[in-house]
Amino acid sequence: MASKSVTETVATTRRDRWLGWFDGSMFTLIVGSLAVIVGGALVQVSFGAFSMTILEAWQAVFNPNVLFSLQAWDAFLFGGELPEMNKRSLIVWNIRLPRVFVAALVGMNLAVSGAIFQAVTRNELASPFILGVSSGAGLMILLTLVVFSGLSAFLPLIAAVGGALAFLIVYAIAWKNGTSPVRLVLAGVIVGTVFGSLQTALFFFADDIGVVQSAIAWTTGSLTGTDWEQVRMALPWTAVAMLLALLSSRQLNVLLLGESTAKSLGMSVEKVRFALSGVAVLAAAASIAVAGIVGFVGLIVPHMVRNIVGSDYRKLVIGCMFAGPALMVGADVGARLGMSVLTGADSQIPVGIVTGLVGGPYFLYLMRKQDKMGEI
Amino acid sequence: MARHTNVDPRTNGDDVTENESTSRTRSRGSDSEDAPLSGEDLVLEYPSSDEPVVDGETLVAEPGAVTALVGPNGSGKSTLLKGLADQLEPEAGSVLVDGQSIRSLDRKKLARKLGLLSQESTSPDSITVEDLVYHGRYPHRGFFESVTDEDEQAVERAIEQAGCGHLRDREVGSLSGGQKQLAWIAMVLAQETDVLLLDEPTTFLDLHHQLEVMEIIETLRDQSDITVVVVLHDLQQAARLADRVIALKDGEIRARGTPADVVTEELLAAVFEIDAEVELTPRGPRIEPLRARHDDETKGDGEAPNHPEGVEAE
Repeated sequence: MASKSVTETVATTRRDRWLGWFDGSMFTLIVGSLAVIVGGALVQVSFGAFSMTILEAWQAVFNPNVLFSLQAWDAFLFGGELPEMNKRSLIVWNIRLPRVFVAALVGMNLAVSGAIFQAVTRNELASPFILGVSSGAGLMILLTLVVFSGLSAFLPLIAAVGGALAFLIVYAIAWKNGTSPVRLVLAGVIVGTVFGSLQTALFFFADDIGVVQSAIAWTTGSLTGTDWEQVRMALPWTAVAMLLALLSSRQLNVLLLGESTAKSLGMSVEKVRFALSGVAVLAAAASIAVAGIVGFVGLIVPHMVRNIVGSDYRKLVIGCMFAGPALMVGADVGARLGMSVLTGADSQIPVGIVTGLVGGPYFLYLMRKQDKMGEI
Repeated sequence: MARHTNVDPRTNGDDVTENESTSRTRSRGSDSEDAPLSGEDLVLEYPSSDEPVVDGETLVAEPGAVTALVGPNGSGKSTLLKGLADQLEPEAGSVLVDGQSIRSLDRKKLARKLGLLSQESTSPDSITVEDLVYHGRYPHRGFFESVTDEDEQAVERAIEQAGCGHLRDREVGSLSGGQKQLAWIAMVLAQETDVLLLDEPTTFLDLHHQLEVMEIIETLRDQSDITVVVVLHDLQQAARLADRVIALKDGEIRARGTPADVVTEELLAAVFEIDAEVELTPRGPRIEPLRARHDDETKGDGEAPNHPEGVEAE
């Protein structure tokens, strides 16, 4: 009988573990995030230069001729020929919705990337850009716009590659018989400073205000003018990065136990750290390629999620996949429509400015409220 | 300054113990190949310093027994343990697990044979004790593998052995230092290794938890054939707990043998620089520290107790 009860408890703990990541706080987080995303999307598809009522907008969203049309999805996802559709559907499906999708993908990538970097560097101030990614991308953006303007068609790719290259440089500088979180962060700061200076210097050589504005949009992050092409560009890499992040959540949890414990548990710490950084850089690069360097999302979303679900990466990564898009879609509403509401001017601001304006104060609020804010 | 009459610092007790034990090691030299853990001519140093902390020491952990490393602060006992645990790569010499060099073993394979509990372990505060213990199964699981029955049984056993069943669902951040240590011990036990290395597992714990940790180690020795090497700050605990004691000073092994052989007044004077009375009891030698010896005194007494060069290298 005793043995029976033992096996029973074992069975229940097993079941608990199977759905272990799903609990009340997780449910709240996911439902809340989805509400924000859907609400943001509703606003985004309804308002804009071509005005329609909310009802009309949603009729266009759920237009069965688009929703269930293989040809339409082929056009969206693989760049095929767009089928005939009415004007509202065209505007909603071809202009306004893809921007929401891109925002969601960017938010997802940045949040998960930040969460991974916070574990890899065991530093609560880590963000997707801590290991030089943003400065490398920024420098390449400026170089392309100012010096090699012939290559600007490849700007997204060049920016992403620049970020990845800077990451490799940081890793090489930090490497001396292995790395450590502190060495990595220091090397990242140094490379970031040098590249940042070069980037600022390049602004002086921009002779055209258009080039400067374009550079600013890229280096602060903007979703203006994004459509299905950006979705097509980011989606595969996002899928790969998210899948790898989910699969690595146990490695991330073990990394949090500290290098020495991870090593004594049989982890090849250097390999795992490099591989995980690679996943995080991939996610960051995918978001840079479509939206430029959107700051702050990768720093604050993991903290917000950690505040709600705790620091178990099995939950944290999933939480970031919902909360990141929520912040990004919400912020993009402000970026796209905020200026016209506030000043009546029909202009947009880079979404990176809004994420800073919204995220910063919220982060401060969390910090004031929680004693233990920032502890990983 | 008055000198305690029981101790004659001129007697180089160290010499005796070391001679005897070196010859013992020699005679056992052949079975270092199949000993669960041995270190040969280990030279260990930290990247930041030029001087080796441990300079060419050999030791063999007795199979199925508890070996305690003792010595004053900075004697290199933790460094030696780090070397044995592959946390610090030796400049020279080698560490053998079951006769195989640990360099040739795959990391995970090594972690299935050799477990280490570091002196200070950090974890996120919000992790539960049970989740922490499950991390001990890391070396037994593949990259994609989920929890198996075997993992669960090992975790159950480990939690029971470490006596932290009542803490299972608590968050590690909410535990006291002693309770945390029990949780960490459960984690290394879940690793199910043949050899267990513990770095000062009782330091900073209250008496209750010190005894609790010692009882866990005693039970492990009595009920399994696990080989334990433990660094102990408290010589009294080492004397009581260990089957073999290895005493270090300045990175040299100064004595090794049974507690009764090693824990003597002479050794305490030479290695720990204290005057003490040692009384043999059924629970091992009992130490009563009397006072600290000072450098100038030791000098006055001759260099011998402090620098027994030639003792090792005869």
